[in-house]
Amino acid sequence: MKLTRRAFVKANAAISAAAIAGVTLPASATNLIAVSDETKIKWDKAPCRFCGTGCSVLVGTQGGKVVATQGDPEAPVNKGLNCVKGYFLSKIMYGKDRLTTPLLRMKDGKFAKDGEFAPISWDQAFDIMAEKWKTSLKANGPTSVGMFGSGQWTVMEGYAAVKLMKAGFRSNNIDPNARHCMASAVGGFMRTFGIDEPMGCYDDFEESDAFVLWGSNMAEMHPILWTRITDRRLSNPHVRVNVLSTYKHRSFELADTGVIFNPQSDLAMANFIANYIIQNDAVNWDFVNKHTHFKRTATDIGYGLRDEHPMQAKAKNPNSGKMTAMTFEEYKASVAEYTVEKASEISGVSVEKLIILAKQYADPNIKVMSLWTMGMNQHTRGVWMNSLVYNIHLLVGKISQPGNGPFSLTGQPSACGTAREVGTFSHRLPADMVVANPKHRAIAEKIWKLPEGTIPPKPGLHAVAQNRALKDGTLNAYWTMCNNNMQAAPNMMEEGLPGYRNPANFIVCSDPYPTVTAQASDLILPTAMWVEKEGAYGNAERRTQAWYQQVKPIEGAKSDLWQLMEFAKRFKIEEVWGEDLLAKMPEHRGKTMYDVLYKNGNVDAFPISEAQELNDDAHDQGYYVQKGLFEEYATFGRGHGHDLAPYDMYHKVRGLRWPVVNGVETKWRFAEGSDPYVGKGKGFEFYGKPDGKANIIFAPYEAPPEVPNEEYDMWLCTGRVLEHWHSGSMTARVPELYRAMPDALCYIHPDDAKKRNVRRGDEVIIESLRGEVRCRVETRGRNRPPVGLVFVPWFDARVLINKVCLDATDPLSKQTDYKKCAIKITKA
Amino acid sequence: MKFILNFWRKLTAPSKAAVGTVLAMGFLGGIIFWGAFNMGMEATNTEEFCSACHAPIVKELKETIHYSNRSGVRAICSDCHVPHNWTDKIVRKVQASNEIVAFLMGKISTQEKFEARRKHLAVREWQRMKENDSQECRNCHNFEYMDFSEQGPRSRKQHSTALASGEKTCVDCHKGIAHQLPDMSDVPGW
Amino acid sequence: MRKLLAVLLTAGTLFSVSAQSNETAVIENVNNGGVASLRGITELDITRKADELKRVIKDRSPIDRDYVYQPPLIPHQTRHYEVSLNANKCLSCHSWKYAGEMGATKISVTHYQSREGEVLSDVSPRRYFCLQCHVTQADASPLIDNDFKRVDSLR
Repeated sequence: MKLTRRAFVKANAAISAAAIAGVTLPASATNLIAVSDETKIKWDKAPCRFCGTGCSVLVGTQGGKVVATQGDPEAPVNKGLNCVKGYFLSKIMYGKDRLTTPLLRMKDGKFAKDGEFAPISWDQAFDIMAEKWKTSLKANGPTSVGMFGSGQWTVMEGYAAVKLMKAGFRSNNIDPNARHCMASAVGGFMRTFGIDEPMGCYDDFEESDAFVLWGSNMAEMHPILWTRITDRRLSNPHVRVNVLSTYKHRSFELADTGVIFNPQSDLAMANFIANYIIQNDAVNWDFVNKHTHFKRTATDIGYGLRDEHPMQAKAKNPNSGKMTAMTFEEYKASVAEYTVEKASEISGVSVEKLIILAKQYADPNIKVMSLWTMGMNQHTRGVWMNSLVYNIHLLVGKISQPGNGPFSLTGQPSACGTAREVGTFSHRLPADMVVANPKHRAIAEKIWKLPEGTIPPKPGLHAVAQNRALKDGTLNAYWTMCNNNMQAAPNMMEEGLPGYRNPANFIVCSDPYPTVTAQASDLILPTAMWVEKEGAYGNAERRTQAWYQQVKPIEGAKSDLWQLMEFAKRFKIEEVWGEDLLAKMPEHRGKTMYDVLYKNGNVDAFPISEAQELNDDAHDQGYYVQKGLFEEYATFGRGHGHDLAPYDMYHKVRGLRWPVVNGVETKWRFAEGSDPYVGKGKGFEFYGKPDGKANIIFAPYEAPPEVPNEEYDMWLCTGRVLEHWHSGSMTARVPELYRAMPDALCYIHPDDAKKRNVRRGDEVIIESLRGEVRCRVETRGRNRPPVGLVFVPWFDARVLINKVCLDATDPLSKQTDYKKCAIKITKA
Repeated sequence: MKFILNFWRKLTAPSKAAVGTVLAMGFLGGIIFWGAFNMGMEATNTEEFCSACHAPIVKELKETIHYSNRSGVRAICSDCHVPHNWTDKIVRKVQASNEIVAFLMGKISTQEKFEARRKHLAVREWQRMKENDSQECRNCHNFEYMDFSEQGPRSRKQHSTALASGEKTCVDCHKGIAHQLPDMSDVPGW
Repeated sequence: MRKLLAVLLTAGTLFSVSAQSNETAVIENVNNGGVASLRGITELDITRKADELKRVIKDRSPIDRDYVYQPPLIPHQTRHYEVSLNANKCLSCHSWKYAGEMGATKISVTHYQSREGEVLSDVSPRRYFCLQCHVTQADASPLIDNDFKRVDSLR
């Protein structure tokens, strides 16, 4: 049966109403409730705009505005629940200061870097942008233009942006803000399994006997997944919840075992657990022999700082991800060093607690789910640490089975779907391919119908490197879209801000609201958001979800997709490609970049008649652009382990988990019977690697780059809070959410406060070698740091804690470590 | 040596001076004893003394309103856990010698051991306070002088009815006000 | 002598003021171009003075909702209200069992459903951590007003 959109809407309204009443409605009653004249609310589904959980919400619209939202009772992810942010989605688009016109810095009617922002038309905006891009391309070549994108872009927007940058401008200088959040997870997956994203899925929550949070405050950051863990724990008394962190937070409320460890010492704890498993003869030999290799990684690899930084210059093997094979015996000897006493000494965790943890992994009868987010990814050894947890699961064979497995949680709503799967990273292409691999480039060029050699082979600038290049004046025409990187990036005072304000650069910022990033830019573009456009997101469990446009954008705002495509129309292909490329496809001569990239017979393959009546992007281009982009993109993964269903299917269901083969989603990858890519009789097959075997990769404990000293005597850890999404640009404009968490506070131990002669509510100066901020002290809030550490959330534009943070990254993933730097605190 | 001998002789010889000296010594001794006794009582009532065995609970207190609040009036452990009335206090102190044994046996020497006994300890205190009509609460929070008009509607409702009638006592509702709670699964009102 | 001192003091003050402003304006060309963000118009390189610590509103009557499925806001303070494996302070007033006696708002029927939609005899464990959806409110006016409009029937 073909479910039309109207039918879907009706069915949903009825279902949700029925859920309230607790009754099953007869089919004939659905009409009455759905189109009843008194209620007049039109309901349709959309994934939540915020985190990587990927809850589905029902959006109620009336008179062209969103008037209500509620949890989608049909959605397997959240079954009718939302967190407080999700419940207030209805208000995120209606902050009074929505941008409605492009704004350009001007003096005397002309662009001036030091000018005041003044309204201009979209035409004028693209004129000045095109002029700046063309000047830059001519003077300094493709590497002088760049883009900073987002894990909150829709799949189609990310895909269009990759094409624009990598094939159009022929610059790999495109990176998503997901670099700040998921790059280490990607690194871990690629090194251990050769294919990105979790093997398990959320169904694991209802099957697991023990949960280990390795650096994640799920109670606040993945609240709906936390409801599933809570449900499991409270309904089944045998279940154990273990929460590991460098400070006490809300997830500890459910913890049977709460573990506070010294920053960076997770490396030692993970190695101890591997050692414990070996020492106690708990290795699953059948699994290990059949499905794994042992490797060791190069050590002393630096901290992703600028090359001349003393801490970077000291490294013996800077940025080396080199792995060498070793035997089990060698592996055993490597982890043997991590005795419980040593792990306890490094981590500050009691021997008893370490053994409690290790036993749960070692016991073959306990199904364990390991979970992590930024505690492990925003880590100068994040890639190593991801693999160290995989090591544990592989040693005992607890992987790819219901309730058993490591699960890397995602921060953003489409960090998986857009940033990772589409490959909007500076080194990537769709479906886990990379620009450095000539075969991968050839595949992309073929699908895109472009001449061989279009995509440059050298990886571009990653997030932190982009800010450095802006400061150095080597990246000059720069577009930041769907993120607030001035607030989000580390070391704002030494890198980000000088970079944006460098007179050599022209910075464009697309956003629905005037953000801190907008304040530092030269051109601000008003952007349509969420259900003001049609799109698709991919969540942490490989679930792709699509939604229809449900309201017209605020007058004057345009979607990211429209902006990307319109900008492409401003360039003749001759202006961006060299003669050598044109000679290979002379038929493109005289065309615009837009024609070559998007009117290529794929993207424009589906007529406007297939699109909804309310679909501004499609009507602006004259064809069903979202479907065209999605379908072209999907050809990358189909048949290669990343299969997506036909686009239209996603509008009928509450998402599907890829690979979707013959219309069936995959719950547990690499497991026979569940994953269609696993050969018969194999049991398990890690087919991301050529021989189907995963790597157990030894990596030692190595100290963090900056540790507290006599002057800067405390650790600073930053992070999010439940009530605000990232930089707060949406949530801080919702009065209820603002009032629930109005200010970023400095969460500090009472003894540390006393020592500095401050008490709750006092204003303090938080200072590092890089900058300072002022905020107020909280000694009894939801976060309880141990002595020597403070937690300050980063949502607050009035504080801007990233002025203080160090721009050290994992040298392999280039992801920033926002969890550790040295600061001092004084009374203001 | 000689000096002591002389002194003894003087005391044994019945003279006015001797009587006076004996009386003075007795008085002095009494003062010293009483002082020492009270000092002992006081010393065993301080937060530091309690912390020696009950460190985790004392830490919990620091997060609560009984430790830090608007006016700076605060309670220490003994304010709530040691009766203020003299005879009751002595009885409680004698009971406490039991607790020294428990301490020596290491009954709550680790956080885990303490957690295991948290319920037992809490229930015992609630029972004690229920029996004495929350006397230690009332030492500071005197019902007579509560101004309901200054209380929020929620507090006013409970205090003017159930508490006023004596149907409920403070500790019936105000559990875990200075510490974390134990497993409350079978506690009335939870 | 006194005059000299005054001059010295003034010079000292001036010097310290200029030293301070040198310290804040460390990056060239910083200028928000007249656009305000959630930060207001304070330039990005300026260390902004912290706002006052907000107090949670104390004991108000229930706050109106803007749409049917909006979770009710908490109209009172929740300091030291424990919600953990051991205890749930919220339920000791808001559960069906105690709501009447305590004069508290009863929790919604939706909370008695399991993930599968089955009606349970007690609050669903997945709803256990109340503060994931229900939040306290500080006594503060919003940084930016919001133009969200309720449907007519709720106006």
